[in-house]
Amino acid sequence: MIAHKHILGTFDEALGSLRNNVLMMAGLAERSLERAMKGLTERDDDICANAIADDEEIDQLEMQIDKDGVDILLRFQPVASDLRRVVSAMKLSSNLERIADQATNIARRARKLNQHPPLPELELILPMNAQAMSMFKDSVDAYVREDVELGRAIVPRDAKLDELNRVASRRLIERMAQDPEQLRGYLNLMFIGRHLERVGDHATNIAEDAVYAAAAEDIRHQGVAAST
Amino acid sequence: MATPDPTVVEHVDRAAEPTSTSTSEPAAPLTFEVKNLSVWYAEKRAIDDVTLDIASNAVTAIIGPSGCGKSTFLRCLNRMHELVPKTRVDGTVLLQGDDLYSNSVDPAIVRRRVGMVFQKSNPFPTMSIGENVVIGLRLNGVRNQKFLNERLEKSLRMAALWDEVKDDLHKPGTSLSGGQQQRLCIARALAVEPEVILMDEPCSALDPIATAKIEELIHELKAHYTIVTVTHNMQQAGRVSDYTAFFYLGRLIEFGPTTKIFTNPSQRQTEDYITGRFG
Repeated sequence: MIAHKHILGTFDEALGSLRNNVLMMAGLAERSLERAMKGLTERDDDICANAIADDEEIDQLEMQIDKDGVDILLRFQPVASDLRRVVSAMKLSSNLERIADQATNIARRARKLNQHPPLPELELILPMNAQAMSMFKDSVDAYVREDVELGRAIVPRDAKLDELNRVASRRLIERMAQDPEQLRGYLNLMFIGRHLERVGDHATNIAEDAVYAAAAEDIRHQGVAAST
Repeated sequence: MATPDPTVVEHVDRAAEPTSTSTSEPAAPLTFEVKNLSVWYAEKRAIDDVTLDIASNAVTAIIGPSGCGKSTFLRCLNRMHELVPKTRVDGTVLLQGDDLYSNSVDPAIVRRRVGMVFQKSNPFPTMSIGENVVIGLRLNGVRNQKFLNERLEKSLRMAALWDEVKDDLHKPGTSLSGGQQQRLCIARALAVEPEVILMDEPCSALDPIATAKIEELIHELKAHYTIVTVTHNMQQAGRVSDYTAFFYLGRLIEFGPTTKIFTNPSQRQTEDYITGRFG
């Protein structure tokens, strides 16, 4: 549904600015995650440092979006789709900030790994990265395009990421027993897997918020609701 | 496309329109059942085939742009529109199952059962605060002073005004502040113990504090009365009402629970109006 222009031009401007900041934050979070994984796979500490440095700008944007969102609620008291857009933008920014935190964590783990010879078990992490990154990009797309079906389709994809994480963790624990000298390296890889799994959780949250913004439908915790 | 094309409304498929028979229908019991109501002022059609149920002990808000027929609809609920010359009504309005427009029904009785509060407070200027409250009872022949005194205090207490005026009952009603005068008018409406209170923009002339007191009062009164209020204030409709009806060009565009209307309205015209993308 394409929104008509608001009678108050300042409202459309404020909502547009809020949305632009969310999109900028999503772009930065994506870049940070890509840099962190590149720093890991290419064993490049400088790229890791860039990923870590991205976090500050993302934190600032989160605070700006919160401030602007509260300002819009206060000044315009939006309702219906306008209200959902403001609330969703504020929730998205929180999830984007946490994704950026995961990218920072991955970059820090990568720098530790880079101090030692490469571990072939890194291959266990790469499919997780592909899955988490595609979920993240699609969730932001669902928000931008107000695509309810795309948003809805992201939620079940989190199960595959969780399964990849379980498989990787099991394999890494086995390797720890077989090769205790590399224990720290395997632990760092396990943590990176865990961070990517969390990225998938936040992407799922973003997809759920995208569905709420577009269709006013709350699709969270439906598995829980169905089983009770 | 900021201005909706009025012809769009005229050409809406009526079978697809939301009415009281939609999933938004209020749960029983109902105070009013309005069926296929149309109203004309001379040749001008002010209300066009409105069907709407109004739940008991709940607040129903009527919203819509100026001239959409919301005040006319409100006045049809106690036949006040009949005070306007050349008015014609078609359709049915049932109050607790009684047909308000039956030939055997006395409009004065209807207005006793269905009280009304107006946009501008209108206490009788020559009467004291106390006389203003009990005038309805006096006009109905009540002379028992003890009964009148009891009803006076009860009505003022229900209107949350007793503590402010109990020592000044002899003073003119017009000596009160605007917000107090409006609550005095509510007390006057309550004194004849109606079943329903209609409110036509009751807070539009009041400051925010007086408005908050009236809204709080509306919230308390719905335990005892069915309330139908017309308002231009979207936030007020959101705060005080349980159900909201959106009127446009005399037609009921959408009706449903207020939380649904203000978070996810079904009709594009409702969305455009409440979000400020209309007109």
